[in-house]
Amino acid sequence: MAKQLDLLQGTLDMLILKAVSLGPLHGYGVLLRIQQISKDRLEILQGSLYPALYRLEHQGWIESEWGESESKRKAKYYRLTAAGKRRLEAETEKWNRMADVIAGILGTTSEEV
Amino acid sequence: MRLWTRVRSWSRAILDRSRAESEMDAELRFHIDAYAEDLIRSGLPRAEALRRARVEFGGVESAKEECREALGVRFIEALVQDLRYGFRTLRKSPGFAAVAIFTLALGIGANTAIFSVVYAVVLKPLPFANPGQLIFLSEAKPQQGIPSAGISYDNFTEIRAQNHVFSELAAAQNHQLTLTGHGDPAAVDTADVMPELFALLDVKPVLGRTFVSEDGKQGAQPVAILSENFWRDRFAADPNVIGSSVSLDHRSFTVVGVVPAAPATLFSPTPIQFWIPLAQDPLFGPWIPRQGLRWLGIVGRLKPGVSIAQAQAEMDAISARLAAKFPAENTGWTIRLKPLQQVIVGDVRTALLVLLGAVGLILLIACANISNLLLARATSRGKEMALRIALGAGRSRIIRQLLTESAALGLLGGAAGVLLAYWGVHALISFLPSSLPKINDVRVDASVLAFALLLSVLASLVFGLAPAFFAAGSRVQSNLQESGGRAGEARARRFARSFLAVAEVTLAMILLVGAGLLVRSFLTLTSVSPGFDARNVVRAEISLPQFQYSKPEQWTAFSDELLRRLQAQPGMRDSAIGLPLPLDAQGAATLGFEIAGHPPLPKGTPETADYVSISPEYFHVMSIPLLRGRTFDDQDIRSAPMVTIISEALAHRYFPDQDPLGKQLIFSFPPNPGIPRQIVGVVGDVRDVSLGRDPGPMMYVPFAQAPLWGAEVVVRSNLSPESVSATIRHEVRQVDKDLPVTNIGSMAGSLDTSVQQPRFRTWLLGLFAAIALVLAAAGIFGVISYSVGRRTHEIGIRITLGATPADVLRLILGESARLVLVGLAVGIPAALGLARLLSNLLFAIRPADPLTLAAVSLLLLAVATVAAYIPARRAMRVDPMVALRHE
Repeated sequence: MAKQLDLLQGTLDMLILKAVSLGPLHGYGVLLRIQQISKDRLEILQGSLYPALYRLEHQGWIESEWGESESKRKAKYYRLTAAGKRRLEAETEKWNRMADVIAGILGTTSEEV
Repeated sequence: MRLWTRVRSWSRAILDRSRAESEMDAELRFHIDAYAEDLIRSGLPRAEALRRARVEFGGVESAKEECREALGVRFIEALVQDLRYGFRTLRKSPGFAAVAIFTLALGIGANTAIFSVVYAVVLKPLPFANPGQLIFLSEAKPQQGIPSAGISYDNFTEIRAQNHVFSELAAAQNHQLTLTGHGDPAAVDTADVMPELFALLDVKPVLGRTFVSEDGKQGAQPVAILSENFWRDRFAADPNVIGSSVSLDHRSFTVVGVVPAAPATLFSPTPIQFWIPLAQDPLFGPWIPRQGLRWLGIVGRLKPGVSIAQAQAEMDAISARLAAKFPAENTGWTIRLKPLQQVIVGDVRTALLVLLGAVGLILLIACANISNLLLARATSRGKEMALRIALGAGRSRIIRQLLTESAALGLLGGAAGVLLAYWGVHALISFLPSSLPKINDVRVDASVLAFALLLSVLASLVFGLAPAFFAAGSRVQSNLQESGGRAGEARARRFARSFLAVAEVTLAMILLVGAGLLVRSFLTLTSVSPGFDARNVVRAEISLPQFQYSKPEQWTAFSDELLRRLQAQPGMRDSAIGLPLPLDAQGAATLGFEIAGHPPLPKGTPETADYVSISPEYFHVMSIPLLRGRTFDDQDIRSAPMVTIISEALAHRYFPDQDPLGKQLIFSFPPNPGIPRQIVGVVGDVRDVSLGRDPGPMMYVPFAQAPLWGAEVVVRSNLSPESVSATIRHEVRQVDKDLPVTNIGSMAGSLDTSVQQPRFRTWLLGLFAAIALVLAAAGIFGVISYSVGRRTHEIGIRITLGATPADVLRLILGESARLVLVGLAVGIPAALGLARLLSNLLFAIRPADPLTLAAVSLLLLAVATVAAYIPARRAMRVDPMVALRHE
């Protein structure tokens, strides 16, 4: 297994929004989905997931509903709201711009200065 | 939208706590179970899978805590917890709690009580629709120093017709009439108004109707409206009063309505009891057609969207037009607009705001004191704080806890303060000058309570902030080792304590200087000679009903008869008539005059003097000295040559280097305007308007030559004022059983009433300054006590090395003196600056009064020395052996 990366501060919220944008998920499902799409390259503290979910719901970007899990147990499912969708788009765009800028800076060689 | 979801999730989380908790539980349990099952499926044994799932999840409780925090529940929970803890710690140190709560209650109580007065009198809008649109109109003549006069009826009609800024204008006056036929004859305060006034103020009748324009015409059927209070008191709230008739000044008026009490204090300090149309007033009705007589008070309502500045601009234009059209009456006069609220509140505003500022300073001193107590406590609680920090409490969490504890203190102090204010307002109302406008509205109501709550919270922040920051900043190590008392941060804390003590001295200095100035001014005011001798003089007022006593001959006959009867009573030989009497609540009668044969002053600009109509004995009874010429005598009757006596100030101002005797004055006053009167005497000056105002020019005329529709009697007698009053009442009844006697009492009492407002503010500011002094002394005491305790070791060494008790005393008192001197150095300029705000309230004394400053400085120094002496004595008795072992 490749070495796992620590999560950059503030990016967990974005990852959660992305995960639930692909379809309603319960908390554990969010964790699995992120691990799956990141191909296990990110280290996510499981305990930190729930405060983030609660915060996002409190801010109105996701909403929750109790439903039944694959194993026929009661579980709380999270879904992206319209506001959350806009938020995700905005965050994604911001992230991409930021990544470009950072990459540009880090890629600068001494001749270019 | 987002805000709404937030509020919803928050309120759900708080209101439905147990459900939120169990859902959180279920959700986290599901996560751990699901992960464990996945691990089992991947081949781990069940027990190992469960263990690993739990370990990898991390702290369940801390996750829950963070979830709660994410919902905002955490904050409330912590707040409640901190508050509970705060109350508990207070209970554990009852001495500290008692002192702090008492100090705070004093500060908040005084503020709340004074605020309730300021709110009712100054801030609360008038009880009418859109009160901001209500404007009072008057006329001024700046070049002659007349700041405000009434408006003549002619000018009122012109203003009303020409203006585009007022939606309505109405005139009003007030007058005492005699009510007969309902028990004892009574003088009732009556407002004479134009019918439009009620619509203008938007006052709806409680019963019946208000006036209609027909009622205001000359010759209309006389109608009257009752004020609700009077209707309840005197007519037992009888609904059948509508349509009945009442007798005012012996004329029959039909009652058409009852209106609320609200507008009752609009035009006079005493509540209005009756309302009648202006045209129906026996005195004022006939004045309506007279030109150039400025006597009407006008109220206007601005049209929506019109500012007072726009209205003033139009009034300036109208003034100019009026002066061009009627130069004789209007040259030099300009119309002045003022918000009605401001006119009603008048000059008490300054005094009340000064008092509010004073109690604000007291609260600041109280806060400084409590801050000091908290700092001292923080030293002893250092270990507790260090433990909390060691256990993982963050800096902000500690600050929050300490601030909440302060808030607990603040709320308790605030509650005690409100109780104090509730009691204080009652005491204050009986102590307030009765002439204070809107005094009946003063009470502790919702707005006042809100103010007290706000004050409590603000005060908590003010006194809690510094101690909280110091506590949170303490270093764990040093405090756990219990040697925090000597650490470096202790120096900062010591500095903070000294700073607070200095601030207290500065604030107390400001208050003491203010109080000192007012006290000195008040002492000067009450010791100034009014120009007459009020001792053993009883006064009484009798107003003659106009319809019954309509001719001047009747007025003279009545006064002659009454005076003859009074003088015949044993011990009442010295009785006289004077109208109006000096320091009358209704003010002086200021009239214009001309000097016959003098270079004529421009027409329409007469000089003015205060006019008094007297019987010959008046100067003798009042002990006003005759300086030149003669007094009036029995020969100065109507058929004799017209005469007048002038005051020294008039002689001085208008006859600076000539003999006024034999010169002639012409007055513009009824019943015989335009008739020259020969000056036959000059008498001493009298402060007739107020003790605080320098005597102005006055002119006296014989009552027999210039009678009025009533009389004010003065009697100098060695009998008790009660028996003199009883005799006056009896004799008036003998002359006419339907005449009420009003304003009866000792002349000294009137003098006293006239200084009610200055006395009130002087006492109150004096009281506040005394409280401030005590609080500041307590502050000095606290700081020096603390310092002595801290320096025990050092003092021990000094004594061992040979310091005498006197040296130690000097050391400690020197420390206190340094604090006071720094406080004075800051306080003197501050006090000088702020004292200027008082200049309008001061009589014969400048705000920068060196005597007051010196006295206050010495007083503060002395009190602080006494306060420091108690701990200093403790220092002197330090046993070096014990002190050295102490550390």
